[in-house]
This record gives sequence, C-alpha cells and structure tokens, in this order.
Amino acid sequence: MSKVYIKSAGLIPVGEHWNKSLTDLMVEASLNALKGQDGVKIDRIVVGNMMSGYLNNQEHLGALLASALGMKGIEALKVEAACGSGGMAVHEGYISVKSGDYENVLVVGVEKMKDADTQVLTKALAMAESADFTQVVGASFISLNALLMRMYMNKYNVQEEFLDYFPVIAHKNAVTAAHSQFKKAFTLEDVKRSPYLAEPIRLLSSAPSSDGAAALLLSSKPSDVEILASEVSTNELMISQRENPLKFEATEKAFKKAVEKAEINPSSVDFLEIHDAFPIVAALSLEAMGYSAEGRAGFDAANGKYNLDGDLPILTFGGLKARGHPVGGTGVYQIVEAYMQLTGTAGKNQVQGAKLGVTQNVGGVDTTSVVHILRKVS
Amino acid sequence: MIPIAYWRNRKLYTRLIGSRCKRCGAEYYPPVKVCKKCGSVDLEEKEMPKTGTIISYTKLTEPPVDFKDYSPIYLAMIRLDNGVTVLGQIADAESEEIRIGMRVMATIRKWTEDGQNGIIYYGYKFKII
Repeated sequence: MSKVYIKSAGLIPVGEHWNKSLTDLMVEASLNALKGQDGVKIDRIVVGNMMSGYLNNQEHLGALLASALGMKGIEALKVEAACGSGGMAVHEGYISVKSGDYENVLVVGVEKMKDADTQVLTKALAMAESADFTQVVGASFISLNALLMRMYMNKYNVQEEFLDYFPVIAHKNAVTAAHSQFKKAFTLEDVKRSPYLAEPIRLLSSAPSSDGAAALLLSSKPSDVEILASEVSTNELMISQRENPLKFEATEKAFKKAVEKAEINPSSVDFLEIHDAFPIVAALSLEAMGYSAEGRAGFDAANGKYNLDGDLPILTFGGLKARGHPVGGTGVYQIVEAYMQLTGTAGKNQVQGAKLGVTQNVGGVDTTSVVHILRKVS
Repeated sequence: MIPIAYWRNRKLYTRLIGSRCKRCGAEYYPPVKVCKKCGSVDLEEKEMPKTGTIISYTKLTEPPVDFKDYSPIYLAMIRLDNGVTVLGQIADAESEEIRIGMRVMATIRKWTEDGQNGIIYYGYKFKII
C-alpha cells in the first residue's frame, strides 16, 4: 500500500463565469494544478460532478477532460455522490494511488450552475433525493434541511439566530479569500432581515449557486501534504426513514473511521472545512464529529470557538456559504484550501501553525459523507 | 414528473401502500424489498394508517420547476399512528396556523400537471383535523 500525497493544487475563483463553459472551468483548474509539473506522467483522471447531464447536456466528463487536456489514451472517469461528488472524487483518487497501481492521479471537481434558471436548478439539486417518494411531493433540497432545522430548534429550544452565526463566520472569512464568491461581511441582523426561502432557512443562510472548478494532483511520491485518511459513509436516503433525523450518522461514522485510520486525536486538529450548505448542516456536522455537544453548536459559534482566530477555525476561506458552492467542485475546493493552510500559502486567511486539517463533504442531507484528514509533512 | 413512473406507483400515492416485515413486524412507507431492521426479504403490502402528527414543517417559496405554479408549498414530516414517518404537503393551510404536534389526516389532492393538455397527477396530502 502506498502513502498518498498532494503534489500540487489549483483552483479558479468561484462565481459567475458567463464566458466559460463547463470544459473551460475544468481545463483551467487542471492547468493551474499542473503548473510546474511538466515531467509528471498522469495515470488516471477522476472528475467529481453532480449535474452536468441535466444542467449542461453533458456527460462523459472523464474522456471529455482527458481529450481537452491533450491526454487521450489515459484512464478517466466521472464520479457522482450529489453535493459530495467532489469529496468522493478525491476519495476515488486516494484509493487508486493507495492501491499502488497508479502513481499520479489528477482529481478535478466541477459544477457549472449559473447557466440554468433557479427552478430548474432547484429540481436538479432535488435529484439527490428519491425521485419516486421525495421529489413527487414537491420537496426541494432546501426544504428538507428546513424540516431538520425546525426539529432541531424545537428539540433543543434553540433560537434561529444562534444557528445563523455560521453564515456570519463564513462571510467574515471570505472577505480576504481571493477565490471566494462573496467578499462581503454580514451581521446577524443582515441575515435576519433577509427573506425566508424555506422557513426557518433564509436567503442569507443558504449556500449560493456557483460556477467553479478545483483540481489536485495526488501522488505516491512524498510531498508537502499527506492525506492520512479518506473515509466515506452513508445514511438512509430519506430523512423520514431515519430513526433520529438530527443525528448525522454518515458523518459520525466517516469521521470515526478516518480518525482511527489516521491515528490522530480529534482535539489536535487545527482547522475544519465543513459542509455548511445551511446552518443546520454545519451544526449537525460539528455535533456528529463531537466538536460541539448536541444542541450546542450554534452557541459555540456565537461564543467565537469557530472563528478564524478561535479554538477551532472552520470555513477558513468562507465555506460553501461564502466561498461559494459549485456542487461537484466543493469537496475538491475544501481539500485545496486545506492544502493552502498546511503549506502556509493561505495569506490573510492563514491559520497560524496549521499542521493538521479535516474536511467533511456531504451529499444529500448527510446521506453520503466524505471525510479527509490531511497533515503537513515535516 | 415521469408519467409511467407515476402510473407504476399510483396505488402507493393514493392509498399510502407501504410494506410490513413478516418476520419482525416492522412497517415502512415507501415500501421496501429488504427489511432495514432484521434483513428479511419476506415482506407484504401494508396500507398505512391515514392519521398522524406533524413533527416538523416548512413553507417553501421556491419549489422545484414541476411545482412552480403551486408556490408556496407547505411541506411537513408526519409521524403516522403506526410510527412510520412520511413526507407530504399540508393542504388548505397557511404556515401561520401549522404547529408541531398538530393532528392530520391523509386526503387525495392534485399534486401537479403536465401543462394544459397533459396528465393531472393526484396523490396524498395531509389536512389538519
């Protein structure tokens, strides 16, 4: 079994790329990651993406990217796990390098969302959920999260505003992140003044739609950052079939497995890139990983624990909420950001002395959870 | 909505037909082929009770494109009286009057339609009782 290192990383700013196609986004991110890697022979390309078929009339992204990069002949494929597609692509890249059969693997996560109008996009995102039993009743993805948020508020007697600290943290961090979609800080009052999209989730507490792509070159050759663990777990597809919908079992299991494989103490982690699609997802994720007690994540956020200069910084470049959420790209952005933190290239967003980072990328409502643990090689 | 998929499931959507495990008695909606509790594949059709309690709800102002003419949608999680939880819309209600703990009853309503000349899709929604 080989060890797995991140040899290089690249991304493009998240945002509205009207002049760039799905292919342009993937190629640009790939070329950024491959800069200065001229002699490297790539053995495999893995693309993470959720919705290119429905939104862009385009599938077969593996061969498409290989061809566009002038690498015909190479093994290439797309992997999909809803919003967790990017993390799953890194996992797929990780296991191929770890197996010893591949030395260098290029992993790219991409989503081109802005070409579609909102209602079409809402339907596309709902495809993470059961077509026969969830989509048919008119449920959107955000509405399922809203159902959980209300259950949470009711069970733990928590006010909406405590959960809305998460978007405030995200936006604060995004101001100084060169590649973030929104470089604007919000106050809790701003969030409270924004309209509900699905009560109690508001416009300013929801991750945006975005265009973006990020890329990683994984290698068995030692480099600055090692991926200590890459673990995946799944939960019941429908939240209504879960014994306790407020328990993110997939995240809990994936995190536990990753911690065991990496042989680390969770309290030694320097920063976390979590899947903050909505405040309730951020809260339940932190609680599933044991960083906040049940029902307490919002209070911990309000008390500064998760600020960039707090005990455990999260969303160090703005997270899904403010860096942006190009769905299939997100899980790869998280790991590129962790790479930046661990190589000391995070600029004004640098977590001082960062040596150990965790990323958590989720598909559906904790239906698939992908957890990575990364370490700076000393 | 895919017409043939709707047709295939019409009984489920109108009568809430789920399944019951013949070995351990666990009940499910939607129906399953493998019991999630005991792993048995010996299951039978079971009609769900039509009354239950709201355990969470939301008012959805941006529904998916197939439901755009029906905004806002009041979506809820309902715990049926046999303990099975289902997702469904609350009919004839304004968000202001929906509360966790309210009793509801399943009824048949229009879900959506395929344009002016297409199929009209009917299925269960819940009414406050």
